[in-house]
Parts: sequence; structure tokens; C-alpha cells
Amino acid sequence: MQTKILLDEDQIPKRWYNVQADLKTPLDPPLHPQTQKPIGPEDLSAIFPMDLIRQEVTTDRYIDIPEEVQEVFRLWRPSPLYRAFRLEKFLKTPAKIYYKWEGVSPAGSHKTNTSIPQAYYNMKAGIERIATETGAGQWGSAMSFATMLYDLECTVYMVRSSYTQKPYRKSMMHVWGAECIPSPSTRTNAGRAMLEKDPDTPGSLGMAISEAVEDAASRKNTNYALGSVLNHVCLHQTVIGLECREQLAMVDDYPDVVIGCVGGGSNFAGISFPFAGDKLSGKHKDVDIIGAEPASCPTLTKGLFTYDLADEAGYTPLLKMFTLGHDFVPPSMHAGGLRYHGDSPIVSRLVHDGVMRAVSYHQGEVFDAAQTFARTEGIIVAPETSHAVKSAIDEALACKKTGEDKTILFNCSGHGNFDMSAYDAYYEGKLVDYEYPDALIKEAISRIPKIS
Amino acid sequence: MRRIGFLINPVAGMGGAVGLKGTDGNVEEARRRGALPEAQNRAKVTLALLARESGIMFVTCSGPMGEDALVKAGVQNYQILYHYRGDSSARNTRQAAMAFKNAGTDLIMFCGGDGTARDIFDAIGRDLPILGIPAGVKMYSAVFAIDPITAAELIRSDDEPVLRDSEIMDIDEEAYRAGQLKVRLYGIARTPGSEGKVQIHKQVFEERDEERAKMEISRFIHEIMIPDVLYVLGAGTTTEAIARDIGVNKTLLGVDAIKNGSTVATDMNEKTLWDLLRQEHEAKIIISPIGAQGFILGRGNQQISARIVRRVGCGNIIVVATPHKLRETPVLYVDSGDSVLDAEFGDTVLVVSGYQMAQRKRIYQNETIQRKVKSSGTHENPDRPVT
Repeated sequence: MQTKILLDEDQIPKRWYNVQADLKTPLDPPLHPQTQKPIGPEDLSAIFPMDLIRQEVTTDRYIDIPEEVQEVFRLWRPSPLYRAFRLEKFLKTPAKIYYKWEGVSPAGSHKTNTSIPQAYYNMKAGIERIATETGAGQWGSAMSFATMLYDLECTVYMVRSSYTQKPYRKSMMHVWGAECIPSPSTRTNAGRAMLEKDPDTPGSLGMAISEAVEDAASRKNTNYALGSVLNHVCLHQTVIGLECREQLAMVDDYPDVVIGCVGGGSNFAGISFPFAGDKLSGKHKDVDIIGAEPASCPTLTKGLFTYDLADEAGYTPLLKMFTLGHDFVPPSMHAGGLRYHGDSPIVSRLVHDGVMRAVSYHQGEVFDAAQTFARTEGIIVAPETSHAVKSAIDEALACKKTGEDKTILFNCSGHGNFDMSAYDAYYEGKLVDYEYPDALIKEAISRIPKIS
Repeated sequence: MRRIGFLINPVAGMGGAVGLKGTDGNVEEARRRGALPEAQNRAKVTLALLARESGIMFVTCSGPMGEDALVKAGVQNYQILYHYRGDSSARNTRQAAMAFKNAGTDLIMFCGGDGTARDIFDAIGRDLPILGIPAGVKMYSAVFAIDPITAAELIRSDDEPVLRDSEIMDIDEEAYRAGQLKVRLYGIARTPGSEGKVQIHKQVFEERDEERAKMEISRFIHEIMIPDVLYVLGAGTTTEAIARDIGVNKTLLGVDAIKNGSTVATDMNEKTLWDLLRQEHEAKIIISPIGAQGFILGRGNQQISARIVRRVGCGNIIVVATPHKLRETPVLYVDSGDSVLDAEFGDTVLVVSGYQMAQRKRIYQNETIQRKVKSSGTHENPDRPVT
């Protein structure tokens, strides 16, 4: 009975897997927010290095991971795959539950899988400074760590509600030499406009993205970096799923169900895209791929698949994705990293095409699941990750009913060591089960720009 | 130095202990049955916690209506503003409250029940915040702290008090003693809440203040209103805010109707509302939980009767409430007078609590009725607030 399934350092993936190569139809192109015509590489060059722009649009199946990036990955990769024997026993399920533990990275989550290559490509392009946003602080701390390694300056616009909730996340950023300011701020036109409209706004990822993009676009030495949603971010995260496939092969297994939590979609993409590729190619056409999202921000389950802006102010291209409307401000729930109105265009396409599916959960029930996980497997997961835990438990309990011994794999994307206040609220019975008013969604969606 | 007006209804709660379902008009009978004054003991708990607060000056009434309890609790910093003789009455309560207000008091803290709250509200309305130390037989009003200790904590807070709307309920005493609960919304007072001091720090995430939440709810409801649909607005300040956002006036305690941005009827009784609905093809009801227990139907919105709800349909009821109100009412209640209809609301209801945001709240359901309804196959779970 092997609990930890480990790869050697020389088994760190050498190439990222690009699921775009296996899509039945190509992605709809990003559109310019003003002209609403497809954008070209030059439109993105003001804020991204050319290497990342190429990765954004390429349909090559595999992209080489630079040796310099692999070198940094050795600090924590390959990450362990665990067999959750204790959880299985507690649930009395015939299912086999595996989880990929990404909390072992220096920043405590999967986010470093893309912050390292993004910082690397920017450094190579001669960029001196990165402006970025962060929701719960995981991406901000991961990018702070990466920019420190490549001697870049870093400014992080952190969603105000998380800035207040998670003071130690900003402390981490400071340790790694980055500047962290609450968003919306008075530093940018976008931030000032948002504050004028609503001085007490808790902020949102959409607002913070606007600020970071404006910051990057207005300074020559600065580029922008995004921690989720975009194709190149999802591409970088595929190291997770690629390692999982190898690790499961070591125990002669393959998942029937693959699960990740979904905000912008990057950790879900990371664990699932290699398996989605197997499904698309017909190699494993029955694998069930599930994205777990919050009921208060149910983009994939309740959103509309259409073009929408990726940010609040309208600086970013229009992306074809599932969206609740770019002006939607989700409530200040504890899973701050999942408070995003849209989703990765690739994840959206795969859900739309039925390759993946999505489920949504309330705050209370995901914390129930997180507690169960902590009391069986020991790990106290981030509130975001608890959505994946909940889905995995649900699938395992379904197996208990049917007697099926399915293999369930989920991405345990990050630890909750800075989220103890959320657990306190849970134990005090103070969690609110926020929910997007589904029946009223048509009215919400009506504010999305109309694309002819 | 904050000036806190303090008064006790000395006989509050006496009737309940001896099975009288209320003390108003029944003091002698309560005494005859051996009831003892309890309100002073309840107040003493609160006052003892506040006795050494240097920043508080109490203004109060003589004897059992205030001074006696202050002295017993060891409070020294007080001033008697209102004197009376003999047994206290509702009139004394009203006069004392008025005296506190005229003396520039910041807040009135009282110990009593619904009747005491009503008398104070009669005198001062929304001019001063009111906070109740629970001691009465009936406490359907929302002005009461959870217990005497919490009352002290709310008063003791160094922070600027966050005021919230709190319903004053009027119970028909005669009907109540006859076993019938007839409760109507009497008024909406202002009460200090704990969210600014306690909840934000514990819950961590930001909650908006009540007025801001009402604005967000109103903006959202206004945006989703459909032309040619009649909207029936129940009582309360949240529905009043919705009407204000639309640009029409609404009666605070009444049930009004709006269609295509204009008022169709105000302060309707059940019959008027029924007649109006019979002329309409499509209608929706917008209501807010009322009272300390959080009743969606049956307390304060009695004009919206069971037949009215059936006419409109459970699925066409939009429940709205601020996050503050919802935090204080972990479970909501439905008591339309038709238990089968009540059960049709299901186990949970979606309550619009902000702009494009709602909370899933549990509805208390009598299990016997639930089983009966489920077995008869009439159960529907209206988990959507509108169609």
C-alpha cells in the first residue's frame, strides 16, 4: 500500500502539453475591445513578451520547458501524488482517491508553475518590472517569488477584501521583495474611477486586472502577468497533469474522474488538460473531468458562453468564455481566488463542447469537506481547494452507493495556512451560503457588450 | 460622555411565568398567582457589566422603573429625569422616553417586552436608537439584544454604533390569550447592531452597511423588473428602498403595488389586494423577513394571505433582506395560516441580499406537515425567487 507516489527530479516534464492542438475546432480569437476585430501579436506586445504571446496562440502539441525554468522547478517538483487511504476508509468508499499535492511549492500553491516561466520570459525580453494582480494572494506571492529569482521588480494589486483578510500573504510578498497594494487603488486611472463610483467596494479580480494592465501599459520597462485564464498560463500548469499521468502509471492506474477547483481555470486546466487530450484523442474517451466552482460565482454552471471583457475597466481583449458579466462583483467569500466573473477560454470551450463538466457548491459544504480532509489526510487546504475536495468526496460517496471502484484524481492545489480566519468563521457558524441568483441571470448577462 | 436613557417595565415577564401569556392588563392576576418581578434581575446583569464604564452617564426614572436596578447593580453615574408614583403604566413609559429624548439622550435602553418597546416607540419614533434587554413574555420585535450580556456589550462598544432597522411588532393581547397569534408590524425603530464591532473581525470578509445593502438590493430588483407585471411590495424599509429607487413613494408599514414604474395601489388590505390581483395576468410579490424571528409570511405582512400567495404562486415571491438582517435570522419562518402552503416553500429559500447576489437560507419546516405534503405529492421546491 503505497501512500506517496514520487517521481525523481529527472522526471520533471521537459515539455508542456498544449490541448489547443487537439481541440476539434480552433478557439474563437480574442477581439480588440474597441474595434471588436481579432487582435494580433502586436496588440499584446505592449504588456507581454513575445515568447508568451507565441505560446498564447500556438497549436503545437508540445512546447519545450526552458532548462532554466526546469532548474527552478527542482525546488519542489515533481510534486507528490498521494493515495488518500485514510479518507477512503473514513468514507467507506470502494473508490480509489488520489490527490496531487501542489502545496509543497515555496508559495504554497500551484501558481509557481506559471509564475516562474512568466518571469523568466520577461527577464529574457529585457523587462525590468512586472505589474500583476492577485485575488486571494496565492498568485501575488508566487509572482513575487519568481520575480525575485530573476531580479525583476514586482508590484501586486491585491483585491481589497483579500488584502484585509489575509495580511500574511502580503507579508510573503514583502519577504520576496515585491510591493503589494490594495485594489482598487488611487494609483491608476481605473482604480480612481472605481473608487469614485464606489468608495467601499471590496474589489474584484476584474478591477485588479484593470489596474495592473494600466500600470504595465503606461511604463516601458514594465510588463503585465496574469495568474490564470490565459492560454499560456493553462499551458504552464499542465506539468501537474503530466506528472500525475506518470505517477498513476507507476501504480498501474488511470483516473475515471479528474477534478479541480475553478476560478479562472488554471489549476483545473493543469491537472485535467493532459487527460482531456486523452479523451479528445479517443485514447480514454470515458474519463469524467469535473470543475468545482463556488455557488456565489458559478461561471461555468450558470454563466453564458459568449465574448466578454477579462477585466472591469475594458483594457483587455474580449475573450470567448463562460461569463457572469465583467461588471459582476462576487461577494467577499473566503475562496477569494475563485472570485472571477469569467473563465479560461480553453476550459470554457471544453465545458461547452461536453469534454468537461462543472458543479457548484456553497461555502458551508466545502468547509465541511475541508474539515473531513484535514481530519483524515492531515492537510488543511485553502478554501479554493476545498471545492475540489468536496467534489472528490461527492464522487467517492456516489461510488459507495453504486459499488463502483472508480479511480478519482483531484488537484489539491494549495494549503490553507493563511486562511485560518476562514476556518474560524466556519467553526463559529458565521459562513454565509452566498448564491448567484440563477433565475435572474438573464438580466445580469444583458450588460455584456454585444458582438455582431 | 454618552447619555444612556434607561427604564424598566417592572412587571414585564410576570405574566409568562404564571401562564398568562402576557402581563399587560393582568398584573394583579399575575401577582395573585404568585408571580414575582423578574425584569430587575434581568436588567441587573446588563447594568453590572456597565457599572464601571466611565464614559456612560445613565438618565433614568425613579424607583422600580430604573433607579432601584441601577443602585443594585452598583451604578453610581446616573441622574433621575422622570419621577412617578404608584404602579407604573404605559403612560409612564411614554413620558419617561420623551423626557430622555428632550434631555439629549444618545440611546434608550429598556428592559421589558414587546409592549414596552411599543410604548417607547410611540414616544420617540426613530429619533433615538432603542435597545431592549429581553424580559417580556412576548418578544417578536427585533429591538432586543440576544441576552442581557450582549446588551451590555453593544452599549459598551468603543466603536461608533452601527444602527440597523428593527421592527416593532404589535400583538393582539386578547387574541393571544385565546390561543391565536395576531401580530402586525407596528413601526420600524433603530437599534445598535454588533456587525461593525464583532462580525467583520470574526467573519473576516467585508459586509456592507445596511443602507448600502438596501441600495444594492433596490438597484438589482429595479433592473430585473419586467414591464406589465404587477409587483406587490410588502412592509419594511428594504421594500421601501426599492420603491424609492423606482421613483415612487411607498407606505412603510403597508402593502403597496407597482406596475411599469408607477404606483397602482397603496396600503392595501387583503381584500383590496385580492381584487387587484384578479385583474392582473402576472404578478410578483417582493417581501422581506419581519421581526426578531424572521417571518417571510405571517408576521407583519398578513395582508399577503395564503390565497394571495396561491394566486401569485410561490415561485413568484422574491424575498429580499440585508445581510445584517439575515445574519440575525439563521432560519426563516413561513406562517401563512395554511400549513400545506407553508410546506410548499420547501427547505430553503433564496434571499436577494445585494446586487446580483443572494443567500441560500433555511426555512423552518414542521416535519409532520412536510411528510404529509410530500406523501400527497403537492410538494414543490421553489428554489428560484422568480420565474
